[in-house]
Amino acid sequence: MIDLLDVRVSYSGQEALDGLSLHVSKGALLGVIGPGACGKSTMCRVIAGLVQPDSGEVFVNRCNFRTCSRHELQTMQRNIGVQFQNDALFEHLSVLDNVAYPLTRLTAMAPSEIEGRAMESLATVGLAGFENRLPNRLSGGQRRRVALARACITRPAILICDEPTAGLDPQTSRTILDMIAGIRYQTKSTVVVVSSDVVGLFSISSRIALVWNGKIIEEDSTTVIRQSERAEVQRFLDDARLPFAGWTWD
Amino acid sequence: MGLKLSLIQVGHLILLISEQIGGAAILLGQIFKRLIPPRFDALEFRKCLFSMGYKSLSIMIATAFVVGVILVIQSFVFVERYGMRSQLGWGAGFVIIRELGPVLLALMFSGRVGAFTTAELGTMTVTEQVDGLRCLAIDPISFLVVPRFLAMIISLASLTLIGNAVALVSASIMGEIMMDVDSHTFWSSLFSMLTAGDIFLSVTKSVLFGAIIAVNSCYFGLSTTGGAPGVGIAVNRTVVSSAVAVFVVDFFSTFVLG
Repeated sequence: MIDLLDVRVSYSGQEALDGLSLHVSKGALLGVIGPGACGKSTMCRVIAGLVQPDSGEVFVNRCNFRTCSRHELQTMQRNIGVQFQNDALFEHLSVLDNVAYPLTRLTAMAPSEIEGRAMESLATVGLAGFENRLPNRLSGGQRRRVALARACITRPAILICDEPTAGLDPQTSRTILDMIAGIRYQTKSTVVVVSSDVVGLFSISSRIALVWNGKIIEEDSTTVIRQSERAEVQRFLDDARLPFAGWTWD
Repeated sequence: MGLKLSLIQVGHLILLISEQIGGAAILLGQIFKRLIPPRFDALEFRKCLFSMGYKSLSIMIATAFVVGVILVIQSFVFVERYGMRSQLGWGAGFVIIRELGPVLLALMFSGRVGAFTTAELGTMTVTEQVDGLRCLAIDPISFLVVPRFLAMIISLASLTLIGNAVALVSASIMGEIMMDVDSHTFWSSLFSMLTAGDIFLSVTKSVLFGAIIAVNSCYFGLSTTGGAPGVGIAVNRTVVSSAVAVFVVDFFSTFVLG
């Protein structure tokens, strides 16, 4: 479904991705962890077609982002839902209009049908009754949920969530991750989630990738990653305060 | 050592200015590419026309009115000394229509509309709203930039014409109050000397100024980095670079078009 091959991206001469390769199967939920500024967000932007790599290949659904036409890229982008780190909500639009925006702009659906879909999407993230509020009247967690509702309203084949839990308390963080898992279960979409909530991510992901200095240094099932003896993995999981000894994940 | 440091600083400044001019030129190219054939959001264009044109009307009229009054006050000494009361209308019209009207209103427009546009686009950029649009395969240039570009040109050209008229009316009123120049004398001297070329120059300048302010404000807005402080820096750069560009283009357009 998603293949990144030896992707390199640099900003002002500084390497953000340094030969990153990744494969995500159709329907998988890949959790991405890693220290700050290691290239996780850049990786998400590459998959979403927002950043052109300096070198390497990006295939999404067998479409090569480097060689495909502009029309093909746009068609592919419409099939990718992205929840951004900063929510990216349009502050002048109500919650309902924000969620409905992709359908309003991209489809010829009737306004009543769009409204129905938006209400349904808001209900999925537990925000029924908030449709007429402006984003600046919402809490951080509610904003994330609106962004999530908007990202998945088009029922995209691929959902990318870039730090959906950043700055949230553990309980809200877990609720949002559970919602993402629920959406994936309902829509059967392929999901990539970047999060600092390592425990939460392990509980919902089918596979985990650890990004380190612009590369994926470990990518496997949660069980294998948990037992990895690689120093960076251990160090990162220790830093994330994962209680390994005697810990059960169920 | 000091000289080397100065040279390095000058080099950096030249590179920065070149980068900004180059970036703005590329953006202008992208705008034209989407204008032939026209591909832009008509609803956004109408919204921009309303917020940039109609909502700027009162402040532009106030500015133009004061410009006309000040012009007459400043020219009072010369008109009295050389006994040129009968030429006051032509003198005021010449200065207002060809120079002061377009330039001062452009600077005012840059401060109000250009700065707002940069802040708006800059905020959208740093909060990833622009990326959100791109994710939906909505071209930010067609959706955000082209409507603002067209709206700014049309708004500034229209506001300049209205502002010129207001400034002339205020100059005529002030001329009657201060110099006892009756309005008939004022307007007949103006219309006897005014040519279509003067109006053309005024409109041409305002179209050029509108385009400069639009490209500058959109370029700095879309290239904003560094969160909220970055937005402030971008707004500052827009206002300064637009003012400089307005004067440079004013010089060349006056030189070339007469």
